[in-house]
Amino acid sequence: MPMVKMKCDESIPERDKHIYQTEADKSIIPSCNIATLPGDMTERGCAFAGARGVIGGPISDIIAMVHAPVGCAWYTWGTRRHLSDLYPWALPGRLANAAFNRRYCVVTDMQEKDVVFGGMKKLEKSCLEAIRLFPEAKGLIIFTTCTTGLIGDDVQAVARQIEQKTGLLTFTAESPGCSGVSQSKGHHDFNTQFYRQVHALRERRPELKMRGEEKTPYDVCLIGDYNMDWDLKVVKPLFEKIGVRIVAVFSGNERIENLVKMPDVRLNVVHCQRSAEYIAEMEQDGYAIPFIRCSLYGIHQTSKALRETAAFFGLQERAEQVIAEELARVEKSLAFYREKLQGKRVAIYVGGPRVWHWIKLMEELGMTVVAGACTFAHADDYAKINARAQAGMLVIDAPNEFEIEEMLLETKPDLFLTGLKEKYLGRKMGIPTVNSHSYEKGPYAGFAGMINFARDLYQGIYAPVWRFQWGINTVRGEENAVE
Amino acid sequence: MRLNEIPVEGIPYDQLKIEKIPCAPAYAERAPELVSAGSRTVVVNPNRTCMPLGAMWAVLGVHGAIPFVQGAQGCATYVRYTFCRVFKEPATIATASFHEDAAVFGGRRNLVEGLRNLVVRYHPEVIGVVTTCSSEIIGDDMVSFIKLARAQLRQEIGPEQADRIEIVLVNTPSFAGSHLEGYDRASRAFVENMATVRDKPNGKVNIIPGLLYPGDIREIKHLLRHMGVEGIVLFDISDPLDAPLRPPQKFPYEPPGGTPAEQIRDMANSLATFALLPHAGQAGARYLERKYGVRAVVGPPPVGVQGTDQFLRTLSAVTGQPVPESLLDERGRLIDSLADTFHHTMMKKVAVMGDPDVVLGVTRFALEMGLEPVALAGGTASKTFTRDMSVILKEAGFTGDPLLLNGGDLFEFEEYLKKLPRLDLIIGNSKAVDIAKELQVPLVRTGFPVYDRFGYQKRAVVGYRGGEILLTEIVNSILGYQYPDDRTHQL
Repeated sequence: MPMVKMKCDESIPERDKHIYQTEADKSIIPSCNIATLPGDMTERGCAFAGARGVIGGPISDIIAMVHAPVGCAWYTWGTRRHLSDLYPWALPGRLANAAFNRRYCVVTDMQEKDVVFGGMKKLEKSCLEAIRLFPEAKGLIIFTTCTTGLIGDDVQAVARQIEQKTGLLTFTAESPGCSGVSQSKGHHDFNTQFYRQVHALRERRPELKMRGEEKTPYDVCLIGDYNMDWDLKVVKPLFEKIGVRIVAVFSGNERIENLVKMPDVRLNVVHCQRSAEYIAEMEQDGYAIPFIRCSLYGIHQTSKALRETAAFFGLQERAEQVIAEELARVEKSLAFYREKLQGKRVAIYVGGPRVWHWIKLMEELGMTVVAGACTFAHADDYAKINARAQAGMLVIDAPNEFEIEEMLLETKPDLFLTGLKEKYLGRKMGIPTVNSHSYEKGPYAGFAGMINFARDLYQGIYAPVWRFQWGINTVRGEENAVE
Repeated sequence: MRLNEIPVEGIPYDQLKIEKIPCAPAYAERAPELVSAGSRTVVVNPNRTCMPLGAMWAVLGVHGAIPFVQGAQGCATYVRYTFCRVFKEPATIATASFHEDAAVFGGRRNLVEGLRNLVVRYHPEVIGVVTTCSSEIIGDDMVSFIKLARAQLRQEIGPEQADRIEIVLVNTPSFAGSHLEGYDRASRAFVENMATVRDKPNGKVNIIPGLLYPGDIREIKHLLRHMGVEGIVLFDISDPLDAPLRPPQKFPYEPPGGTPAEQIRDMANSLATFALLPHAGQAGARYLERKYGVRAVVGPPPVGVQGTDQFLRTLSAVTGQPVPESLLDERGRLIDSLADTFHHTMMKKVAVMGDPDVVLGVTRFALEMGLEPVALAGGTASKTFTRDMSVILKEAGFTGDPLLLNGGDLFEFEEYLKKLPRLDLIIGNSKAVDIAKELQVPLVRTGFPVYDRFGYQKRAVVGYRGGEILLTEIVNSILGYQYPDDRTHQL
């Protein structure tokens, strides 16, 4: 059996089937995307987080109406670093301090009586008021939560009414927290519902489609990029330079009007293949738009993404030119970090795909991924990990706090790439961490972003603090170990 | 075209050249008839969050305790996320992981299996079972579920070990109150379940701090120490949520400190219970008073001169211990600071936002500094906020007419501030940062949550020394924003 039994799981053997070590000639797929064991100290979030936080949140010009008690909205108010460049006015001549999608938190604030009598009236009133308050919004998405899902509010009916009354593009994302096994369900829900609603909308209002003369033969959609810490600022120009036009990004810093035009492109380029491949697949089936999978992290993978996109349009020469130019820009700095990071061992715990996105990137920096864990990965993610990893890498599906600790203790990485909740745990164990969800100081994607990433990895490992942590009689440095 | 090389320092933010694109051609006023929260249904930028957060905060302050959230995973994860952002610490919280089956069949299996899985791996001494919107709507019969869970635990780990674990249920449906209510309910649930015997007086005082930061709780303990009073701080998050980095850590990670269970059990024997922030903690204090005659002292927040004076006077009256010279010196230092700085604070217009008790405490201190409040926004609607605030304003002889928001939301607050002829300063939590930056006034951060700066959770604002810290921050913010440097060479 290639599965790994962790000490902390002795009393919950159900966990064994989630944990394995990679093998050289075999792709082991653990149990994944299944129900969480209650009380196992899971790190997973909820479906609502997937729909509202991950995919709905980055859309720049919509009102994100959270139909819920106040908390669900409060926690998703400007937390994830999905940045945007569309700003509301604060005062005459002065723009707001935060972009529109992070500046306002709009919620129906369900109260006890609404739970008893239903919240549809409240929702409708709230939407109409919010539309009057924020005339700059070009759309509205209603997100449901446990509360409004359980009481069974018909939010689609409300959305239809709102659109009839105001003409504003109105969508629903029904993804209550208690549906599915993780935030992955919310990604899926959003993809499917949005696709269907856009499809219906285009039938209803064909004027929203891209007009024939607006189309170019080089139109693509970048799917599954959420503009974390301005990743798009370094990624989009790469595609534009090779001569393709990005019509819409699903959904980082994107306007709703462009998202409605998604079915008008010639090719979909899918970056996050966990949270957004669904919509690419549906567009393939529904609109015969082919898609390619890519990774925009690291030199090798970004180059590959550009080459494959270019090959689709016959733009290979320009792609080679762009890649050469970009390489020249980062060469020197990359060499510096390669020397500093050579031989370091890292553990990665993220949502899912970034484990495999980053294995190659770490190799490019001379580092090895010794352990990887995914909150909500599916079988295809593990296949991708296996295809990229060295043999002997510890892999954990839907890890819990104990397993993460044991993973760190057993594999003793020099650096732990993880999210906000776990990074402080790593630090308490004396292991440097880098925030791998919202980044420390991004962007991390593309060629230029890779230097930022390498810098943050370097700062993690070489921070002076780690030399002093062992007590007043011991200083451990790189060269000296004084006892 | 030759492209710039990317230096080893990476691409600095300012070189990303992000062009801010306006949403609309020009500024337009927000629909005036919808600005006031009372005149609309929708809530924009709430100044409060959900009930379970307060209960989880409380449980994390108990030694060896772990919150178990009976609900969907997000209910635990979002709150952990918030705690990590605020405290920069790990926060250990378990969840029943509700999926569809729980929504259909109820959460019994999740609770029973969940408590089992938690207990056999983590060996907690105390479990705070925190309910959520979903479990409350489904109508989970938590009391009988917990009984069942305990019965099964007795079989698996033996009755002695199983019975030693305290399981405290806190009902926190988010649609029925804010995070303060959650903490308040936890305070009552914990004393009701654990402080069940009044046998021999312990001569101690109970302190229920409310949602105060580790730095504040350390300051309260400092005051008690100097008063020669032994205290029981219920929900003492000072060590669990401000833990030292001293590897090797125990495995699994167990945060240090927290209120030991035996101290909570002893709370009915105390002289009095001080609920420092009334909206979060008075339920526990009042329960002990009703049931065991332990005197309840509810508020006022021990912030600033008079707030701290009142706390120490009552503490002295309750315990018979005089206020020592050392604390009078601390008081004197705060008074000295006030005397050294009033030229910079008097007549300055201040807006305060946050939890109602924080706003009350801070406003009272602001008035002591000669600041003039123009807008005061308590995020959680309260029966006492408006009344208490007018007492404070009257006591200070303040004749202005500040906007009082009892509940409401931050949208109303900011739209009001934008229309004011003058504003010098906002005191409040990180949720006010956009407002402050847009109005180009300093934001002095205090209260929950502060996540966009480092260290505020480690510093006190309560007590005389905390007052000095807050005063320093306020004065320096004003100096930094409003004074040309050549004037600050001599203050």
